[in-house]
Amino acid sequence: MADDKDARRAEALARLLVLDTPEEQAFDDIVFIASQTCDAPIALISLLDSDRQWFKARIGLDVSETPIHQSVCRLDIDDPGVLEVADLTADMRTNDNPLVTGDRAFRYYAGAPLTLRSGEIVGRLCVIDTEARPGGLSDTQKTLLNALARQASDHLELRRIARGSERLAELQTALVQIGESIRNSHDVQAMTRAASAIVGAVLQVSRAGFGSVDEDVRHIDVEPDWTAPGTASIAGRHRFEDYGAIRDHLVRGEPLVIENVLTDPRTIDNPGAMTAIGVHALVNMPVRQHGRTVAVLIVNAAARRIWQPEELTFLRSVADRLEAGVSRVRAEQQQEMLNGEIAHRLKNMLSMVQAIASQTLRDVPDRRPVESFEQRLMALSAAHDVLLQKSWTDADLRVVAEAVVEAVGFSDRVHMDGPEVALGSRAALSFSLVMHELMTNACKYGALCQTGGHVEVNWAVETTQAGDELVVRWRETGGPPVIAPSRRGFGSKLVRLGLAGTGGVDLRFEPDGLQADLRASVRQLAQT
Amino acid sequence: MIGTAIIERPVVLVVEDEPLLRLFATDMIEDAGFAVIDVGSASAAIAVLERRPDIRIVFTDIDMPGGIDGIKLAACVRDRWPPIKIIITSEKPWPTGVTLPTDAIFFSKPYRQDRVISTIQQMAA
Repeated sequence: MADDKDARRAEALARLLVLDTPEEQAFDDIVFIASQTCDAPIALISLLDSDRQWFKARIGLDVSETPIHQSVCRLDIDDPGVLEVADLTADMRTNDNPLVTGDRAFRYYAGAPLTLRSGEIVGRLCVIDTEARPGGLSDTQKTLLNALARQASDHLELRRIARGSERLAELQTALVQIGESIRNSHDVQAMTRAASAIVGAVLQVSRAGFGSVDEDVRHIDVEPDWTAPGTASIAGRHRFEDYGAIRDHLVRGEPLVIENVLTDPRTIDNPGAMTAIGVHALVNMPVRQHGRTVAVLIVNAAARRIWQPEELTFLRSVADRLEAGVSRVRAEQQQEMLNGEIAHRLKNMLSMVQAIASQTLRDVPDRRPVESFEQRLMALSAAHDVLLQKSWTDADLRVVAEAVVEAVGFSDRVHMDGPEVALGSRAALSFSLVMHELMTNACKYGALCQTGGHVEVNWAVETTQAGDELVVRWRETGGPPVIAPSRRGFGSKLVRLGLAGTGGVDLRFEPDGLQADLRASVRQLAQT
Repeated sequence: MIGTAIIERPVVLVVEDEPLLRLFATDMIEDAGFAVIDVGSASAAIAVLERRPDIRIVFTDIDMPGGIDGIKLAACVRDRWPPIKIIITSEKPWPTGVTLPTDAIFFSKPYRQDRVISTIQQMAA
């Protein structure tokens, strides 16, 4: 019973976030006034932790805490009145207390309870004298001591609220950082490691990590985790049952919050499993999908720790965001694999077409159309390669052009200049065919068929009344004199299809060399 | 003078599981003046290599059933028959992080016939 109350008191005290904090003027003032009012050399604000009393403010005493069993304040602590002991040497409960028998020689004690709004008593404001006081405090002094104790309690709670909102702001900032790092990550390990590092730093814990849980919630595969210096990683597979009765919570999807593995009923039977990996307190925050726990966010502390409600809310949000991020990355990876598979089949099909064409056209005496066919197939295949690199979404115009030039040859005599322009998959394919025809034409009849000739390919996005328009300018120089062809072959028809397969081509057979202007709306080009 | 001069044509081993592509590669290489032995798997290729010391070039696909793919075959050829030159082809890009064996060249499929043939000619020279 008393243990229960003491545990609740320690918990209420932990929530105040005051233990082991530096001195503060408001509390120093209160003990000063108490000591003056009661004419006592010693005055303390004593807070009762589970194994010690810790002084938030003190006058006339040289230690900041004592073991709990030396505490006079804890006597009759649940009695809401002022505790007064006129002669500590004459009271059975205190006559063998080292503070009484030793050099400090406490003789007289009076203490008023520090009662929180919840009713919890967390300590006392007390005055102590080194001489016994048979008469004790006057009624007025007692009233004042009580009033000062109420001031101290109020201030403890207000202080907590102020600290709480600072803490909330800190956690909110961390959450924003985690959101950013999740958005910018494209692999699961980098994502969980970055988020764990932020969680670890803001909560000042010893370890933070994220793991996916198997179908029947028996094992967890922990991704590479974040650890404080001196703490070992627990990345890898673990069985929940090896660490105590912690599985049921996770199966139900409830957060597992343990403040002290040595006393928590779920780990008390075998706390060694936890302490062996440096865990004295922990939070396991499950992530649910379709009514099943699929992952757990893990936070470990190397010492016992009371987890604050706002910390748990924070961890809940982090766990949800991480799960969404991990799902997104896995979907991306699956999509990428699928695209790779499709591209591989498509290229296999192109190889088959090449083989069939080659067999079918084996006996055709004029090899030129057969070669043209094969080369056009290559241009298409090169454009597919470029698209594949960007997961079949879009391709940069320059990369497509370079792939075609590389396939045909002469890359040293084709000069390109222009900004980055994203081509959708359709435009990438039709542009690669146009580019290929222009290249082969230049090789056969134009600037590339004799030494010294070269090609300039420039492009720009121009704003017109109809919207943004891409203009690609093809300029040949240094070739033999140009004569406009008398008939339009398939190659020329392909070129006239233009950048997006819808025309917009101006071909000029200038004496210096062929000039082609290809135009298409940027909006049209972006279509996939 | 009796008899004819036998012109020793360099022998190329074509390894490709897809029959149509195997036929295509065989014709292409034969048309360029080489002798071709064609097989449909890496293990069949090794069996041929063990009894035919005259093979100069191995032309292999990567994706093949039967446990040994073209990459493993190439490594095995490099290890057991160091003088043999290797051409590897695939619909997929060359895997990142895997080094091409020495005296080996990779072609993405579909490949340009003229480039493959000129490579074989250089290797055989």
